[in-house]
Amino acid sequence: MLEASAVHLSYGGLRAVDNVSLSVEAGRIVGLIGTNGAGKTSLFNVISGFARADRGTITFEGARIDSEHASAIARRGLVRTFQTPLGFPRMTVLENMLVFSRHDGKARHRLAGGSRVPDDVLQEAMRTLDEFGLAARADIWVQDLAAPELKMLEFARAMMAQPKLMMLDEPAAGVNPALIESLVRHIKDLRERGVTFLIVDHNLKFIAEVCEEVYAMADGRIIAHGPSAEVIANPDVIRLYIGEAADKADGRAEQSFTSTNHEQGVQQ
Amino acid sequence: MISSREPTDQAGHEMDILIFGLISASVVLLSSVGFALILRTEGFLHIAHGQMLLLGAYTGLLLSNLGLHIAPTAIGAALFTGFVGVLFYGVLFRPIKARGALVLLFTSVGAAYVVYGLVGAIAGKRMLAFDLPPVRAFQLFGQPFMTVYELAIVIVAIASALCLHLFLAYTSPGQAIRAVSDDEALARVRGIDPMRTSYLVWFVASALGGLAGVFLGILGSLHLAMGWQQIILILATTVLGGIGSIYGVMLAAFVLAFGIEIGLLFVESSYRSGLAFLIIIVVLLVKPQGLQALWGGGAGRTH
Amino acid sequence: MEGLILFAVSMLTLGAVYGMLCLALNLESGLGPLWDLGIVSFFGIGAYTYVLLTAPPAADHQSYIFGFGLPMWIGVVASMVAGGVAAWLIGLPTLKLKREYFLIVTLAFAEVIRQVYANEEWLTNGVAGIYGLQQPLRSTVPAMQYSYVLLALALLGLAFAWAVTRSIGASPFGRACKALRENEALAITAGIDPRGVSMRVYMVAGALAGLAGVFGVWYTTLIIPGQFEADLTFFVWAALIIGGIGNQRGALIGAFVFILLHDALRFIQVSGEWAVTLTSLRTALVGLALILILRFRPEGLFGERPVTFAQRTPQEAERA
Repeated sequence: MLEASAVHLSYGGLRAVDNVSLSVEAGRIVGLIGTNGAGKTSLFNVISGFARADRGTITFEGARIDSEHASAIARRGLVRTFQTPLGFPRMTVLENMLVFSRHDGKARHRLAGGSRVPDDVLQEAMRTLDEFGLAARADIWVQDLAAPELKMLEFARAMMAQPKLMMLDEPAAGVNPALIESLVRHIKDLRERGVTFLIVDHNLKFIAEVCEEVYAMADGRIIAHGPSAEVIANPDVIRLYIGEAADKADGRAEQSFTSTNHEQGVQQ
Repeated sequence: MISSREPTDQAGHEMDILIFGLISASVVLLSSVGFALILRTEGFLHIAHGQMLLLGAYTGLLLSNLGLHIAPTAIGAALFTGFVGVLFYGVLFRPIKARGALVLLFTSVGAAYVVYGLVGAIAGKRMLAFDLPPVRAFQLFGQPFMTVYELAIVIVAIASALCLHLFLAYTSPGQAIRAVSDDEALARVRGIDPMRTSYLVWFVASALGGLAGVFLGILGSLHLAMGWQQIILILATTVLGGIGSIYGVMLAAFVLAFGIEIGLLFVESSYRSGLAFLIIIVVLLVKPQGLQALWGGGAGRTH
Repeated sequence: MEGLILFAVSMLTLGAVYGMLCLALNLESGLGPLWDLGIVSFFGIGAYTYVLLTAPPAADHQSYIFGFGLPMWIGVVASMVAGGVAAWLIGLPTLKLKREYFLIVTLAFAEVIRQVYANEEWLTNGVAGIYGLQQPLRSTVPAMQYSYVLLALALLGLAFAWAVTRSIGASPFGRACKALRENEALAITAGIDPRGVSMRVYMVAGALAGLAGVFGVWYTTLIIPGQFEADLTFFVWAALIIGGIGNQRGALIGAFVFILLHDALRFIQVSGEWAVTLTSLRTALVGLALILILRFRPEGLFGERPVTFAQRTPQEAERA
């Protein structure tokens, strides 16, 4: 479904993505792990069109997408999320849903309250909100939501786009265990309905639980690939994570700056 | 202009471009560095900075009419404008700092109208001028060069910019300013008080603006629209220099001023600020990243 | 008494013209993502387009070469087209810029365009301007009553602008604009093309501001470059901020409140020197109002409100 081959990306001399090839088959849940600054988010940006690869090709359902605008890639059904699920803060929960609807553009039907939405789209949005436990919050501004609700809205919103492939950027970061459980349930449930996933996360337990197949990255390169249990047990990967833990203990977390800075750049 | 220069031949014409370019670059430089400093530390377009020039010019006129010599007049006007800048920061901008660039920008627009309106109410709409003893231009290679006023303005302006550079680069308050503008949170951790730094920035920036206003008045005349006219040039310089880049602005002031003088060979002088923007627009059209790419940043979007 | 009423009618007419500009600005900057400091460009281009198409050919003392004397309705349509096309042309190089650059560059374009009006006498008759322009339906009523007709026309124009902006705001396209305003990166993942959507909303705002230009001409019966200075852009922004950015009603009320603030003092007749002082104080008052609003009521008189849907599902609709 998604094929990236020999992708390179560098920022001012720093090789963020170095000759990465990766493939995601339809119907699978694929994980992407690695330490901070390993190039995961950069790879995400390249695939979703938010950054241009210096070299390499990316195809989605057989079509080249590496020179397409990010919005065109999204319209193909490849929908990504961001590390911070801000949403559209000064739009209501329901409006957030409608923006992502693929059929909203055909709206002609007029509703009281001054907005035009087709009945079926509105129903679909409310049904999806209900599924994620947000129906009661439909008419409030997203900036007034609590953090767990934002997380749920992120999923609900993406579902409106009827995605074929969802790329989740650290869905479990800063999320409490109960919510992680619910996330896992939702992801598996959506997969049953035909959605493919590519998930970046730090939380190995979460990745092991939800993914069938995992790629591990370090310094911009893929260092391991295989069934999730195998990759997580891979000595290179373990060394990497222990190394990072040691780095953190030393208080040397400089590497993390590169990834967060870049993330902010995209969010602008 | 106090001096009148009749271009006698082609060489004289080129000399004129050089001289006028240098003089107008000096004033643009002096008006723009303060604006750039505020933009860099406070993160918004301080539209009222143009009115600081107006305020400086008219304060200077007041002092001059009281019989003060032109040098203490200029210094007095600059100090007064600097204090008004500090007042503006403390009363208007600091309390709403967290509300974002657009709120700050339009508060600044509001402040600009208050200054503009008050100066207009007191001084009236007539064109005014400093009452200075007339002087003849120096001769250089048989051509009229500059008057003593113009020479002093060029020297003071360039020296001020240089001092600002030395101040930012080598003194501890200067380094504090740079630290705060780079990363306020980090600066706080390092024990720098961003508030004190901000007051300093506002004083320096506004005082330089006031000084530029006096210079503008000496070179030409004083009129109510001068603040608005100059802010347009300042904005052009800012875009060319790269938003928030103080050194970029210093270079851009010269590029722009000479660009305008050369451009004025081809179009009427009433297109002056239009020409400045035409330069900017052409730069953006040819290379969307613009000259500012030289200083990093870039005007383009990430996607 | 008669004088007071006529003055009020005149102020309301001016308020309606400002209202159209506020609604146009609110569309692109309140609802949409564009921080436009050049709305006066389109107002001016609309006005000049209208005048050059409908005015009679130049007299001996004038120098503009156009002046086709065409019917007014052609001028009205052309002003909107010209406003939209101008927005397209300005948008081509500028919409790819970051917001703060867009802000400055649109201000720049407005200034360059104003200087063109002032300098290109063959086109615009320069700073001398063109006076004594025709007003619509002038001959149908006695001269004394004409100001009521003009007010009615201006309110009609305002109603049109209201209908257009409201309809866009309620449409999926309006939601796309708002999404771009709120979070551009996320909007892109929803498949929204930022350039395309921005361009369209910019052009609609340009067309509406161009139309407002026609009403400006009808109100003043003259056209001079001085009418199209950056001041006007700031005034329209001030009006919008006072009323409430992102709120249709706010944009409308803001325009009239602003006129009350800025022009009501004009009714006081004073002589020479005092008039200058009074004009200046009026400007200072506007500045002060802007500062106070931003300080104590930054959302304006009418802030943006959540959009709610009165009828959620067809079942509920049936029950209702």
